[in-house]
Amino acid sequence: MHRLKILMGAIALALVLAGAAFAVNTGTADFTTYVALGDSLTAGFSSGSLNRTYQVNSYPALIYRQATGKTTGFEQPLVSEPGLPGILTLASLRPLSIVPSGGSGQPLNLGLQRPYNNMAVPGARLHDLLTKTQSTSANDITDLILRKLGFTQLQQGLSLKPTFVTLWIGNNDALAAATSGIAIPGVTLTPVEQFQADYTAVVNAIASTNAKMALANIPDVTSIPFVTTISRFIVNPATNQPVLINGNPVPLIGPNGPLQAGDFVLLTATAELAQGRGIPTALGGSGLPLSDTSVLSAAEAATIKDYVNNYNAIIAKAASDKNAAFVDTNALLKDLAVNGIHLGGITYGSAFLTGGVFSYDGVHPTAFGYAYIANAFIGAINAKFGGDIPLVDLYPFVFGPLPKRAGKTPPPVVAPAEELTGLVFTAEARRSLLQSLGVPQWIVDGTRRPRPHRGN
Amino acid sequence: MGRALSIVALATLAAGPLHAAGFSIFEQGSKATGMAGAVTAQADDPSMLFYNAGGLAFVEKSDFSVGATWIRSTKADFQGAGVFPGPNYSAEQETLSEFPPHAYWVQPVTNNFKFGLGVETPFGLTTSWKNPNQFAGRFLSTKASLMAFDLNPTIGWRVTPSFGIGVGALVRYSTVELNRHVPTINPFTLQAADIGALKLKGDYSTGYGFNVGLLHRVNESFSWGLSYRSKVTVDYEGDARLTQISTGNAQFDAILRAQLPFNTKLPVKTSIDFPDQASLGLAFGLTRNLMLETDVNWMGWSSFKEVAIDFTGGATNSLPDTTLAQNWEDVYSYRIGLNWTVSPASQVRFGFVYDQTPQPEEGVSPLLPDADRNGFCIGYGHTQGFRYDVGLMYLDFKSRTTNKARPEQGPFFGTYKTRAVLLGVTANF
Repeated sequence: MHRLKILMGAIALALVLAGAAFAVNTGTADFTTYVALGDSLTAGFSSGSLNRTYQVNSYPALIYRQATGKTTGFEQPLVSEPGLPGILTLASLRPLSIVPSGGSGQPLNLGLQRPYNNMAVPGARLHDLLTKTQSTSANDITDLILRKLGFTQLQQGLSLKPTFVTLWIGNNDALAAATSGIAIPGVTLTPVEQFQADYTAVVNAIASTNAKMALANIPDVTSIPFVTTISRFIVNPATNQPVLINGNPVPLIGPNGPLQAGDFVLLTATAELAQGRGIPTALGGSGLPLSDTSVLSAAEAATIKDYVNNYNAIIAKAASDKNAAFVDTNALLKDLAVNGIHLGGITYGSAFLTGGVFSYDGVHPTAFGYAYIANAFIGAINAKFGGDIPLVDLYPFVFGPLPKRAGKTPPPVVAPAEELTGLVFTAEARRSLLQSLGVPQWIVDGTRRPRPHRGN
Repeated sequence: MGRALSIVALATLAAGPLHAAGFSIFEQGSKATGMAGAVTAQADDPSMLFYNAGGLAFVEKSDFSVGATWIRSTKADFQGAGVFPGPNYSAEQETLSEFPPHAYWVQPVTNNFKFGLGVETPFGLTTSWKNPNQFAGRFLSTKASLMAFDLNPTIGWRVTPSFGIGVGALVRYSTVELNRHVPTINPFTLQAADIGALKLKGDYSTGYGFNVGLLHRVNESFSWGLSYRSKVTVDYEGDARLTQISTGNAQFDAILRAQLPFNTKLPVKTSIDFPDQASLGLAFGLTRNLMLETDVNWMGWSSFKEVAIDFTGGATNSLPDTTLAQNWEDVYSYRIGLNWTVSPASQVRFGFVYDQTPQPEEGVSPLLPDADRNGFCIGYGHTQGFRYDVGLMYLDFKSRTTNKARPEQGPFFGTYKTRAVLLGVTANF
């Protein structure tokens, strides 16, 4: 009896092991050749950096590992530590200091003799999938992924004849307006008609390969800590409590006067706040208003929300038309903000630094956040295609160490240590973040928008 | 000597891992243990005070009995699954060795009125995870223990020569201790980290209830019994203590120290509603020497809805109140026992019990992973000269898998496997 149990146990174990390696039930979805299209979120960008540690745990890499049981065969444009640009780290909580690591990483997979499976380009907008073939500025890392081959992200990805494609695009068509604090339809916000036309063109191109699809929608900008962390009221840095005058908190001064309910102060405002901007002279500030790029007004936020709703309607319709799995990241992040994620007594939320889901740039997820997103994709894919792809085991993302499986192991690149100084969001950190989000160069540089008819 | 031993045993009042579904301990006499507790319609030794007070009515001479049940868990494993802690994770509980005691004194007062005094340990549990500082479920529980013993004075009345009633009072002394770690997200690593170990202790507190029993010895070959023990609520007061655990970052540790009441007594209140229980037994004399009994035992575990932990230390010496939802269900267990009188001096017993868990799937957690179980029993009684009983039970828990979570705690998915052996020894004087 006992021996029989051992034997049966051994058989069961062998089946489990075999199952892990070979026999994942993916339903009618086929992950033999999986291509991921998108932007920084799909690339695995985290803490202001494209970095191997996070790339190998990007949500497409996790989906591939879960769906195939394999750790090789999913090629990405890996970048060595400390990433491109150097990854942000927390140097100090008081005063709050987040700084980029010194040095920069090197491309590790530039010589791959075929397009990458993860074709996502940080900073890409929807239209870039159809048109952009190379970098357009010094900080643009498009060339790292598209390699000046003269083909777009979409063309390169589809040239692999994918059996499955995930598409999470459109974030930068709206989010860039939020992170730059400037919402101008047609400039930082893609017009809805154009979004409709481009999205249709992209999903039609994918559909023409007969690949099955998963399409993800766009989160609400007010669900990310980049927008929600800093109070619109003046805070005493010593106590972290609002300064009260006659019992009332005092709003910061924005470009249009005192900030009103519904206005958001962006994380990038920290540098200006440290200089006293936004704070009246009577309270020890410079009396100068915060700049327009530091504030997302209630009206701007409403405009962006409107656009996102329109984009999301287009994405949902496309998913239904193309019989694609639909991943509602908008609902996912709202739920995170309202209810949090609970795991074995641990609570994750959307708070900056202590929520565990968003990285030091306040926009991109942590490794845990990406694993959670991967599970949302897997859940949607299983539901649509009748598979039983196991969800990502979150244990290493909760307690570490992060999985390191990525095929080839590159030589470590030793970066010169730099002194950890400076305030949250140095100009350099801001620049790299905005680049990753496709913010127009003139906003990144702080110059005026070129407008010939409005001579300046 | 026996009395001295019993005092030692009571002084070490210890509870074991789970042995009757939930945290009930139904092994309160070694004769009964040999028959898997199917004795409600027999109730013919002093443990009747626990199993069926109706039996007290028939006592004809003074008797004293004392014993304990050695409960030894031989296996208590956890295999993870799902998103957390995942299929690559496994853990083990400490194997426990505990000795919940029992002692009974019965005394005829008149022909028809009898008095009895019992000391029982009707509830108890200990769940203690190995390597608590690494255990993945440490934010739910690292160690939990509960002990309850009853002082049970009882009066028996023989209404007719074949029908007896017993009525008793339950004075329950109980203590409870809960240990877990407190997590945060470490902003320097953006991963989960321990910031403290929280120990909550409800000091010995008292609750009251009653019990009644009926026993009808219809004839030589048939009797039936009915027994009921009431619900008892114990309100505990005690202290919690949060001991800081370093996150590895001195600056963050200092900020936490400024925000949390580490290393001080935090007054706390909690309460447990112990369930009521009822048993119906039918005993059949198959031959002169062979007695078969079948019992159904009901436990009103739906009383165990939650454990609310209230911190009463005001603004400074408090942590947020918490409520551990339980929402258990009423359950039945089914027992069958056989007593074979081999000779005037010796009896051999067999028993089997199937016991259902009252715990819903979403409540299965490292704090108290419960399961359905089968108990296989064998016993021996020496009934002349130095009288004693020995009962041995092998308790095989069905493996319990949980893929459901309470939303406030989140997934801790996997399968719990438990096995235990119980050895009861009772001496009668």
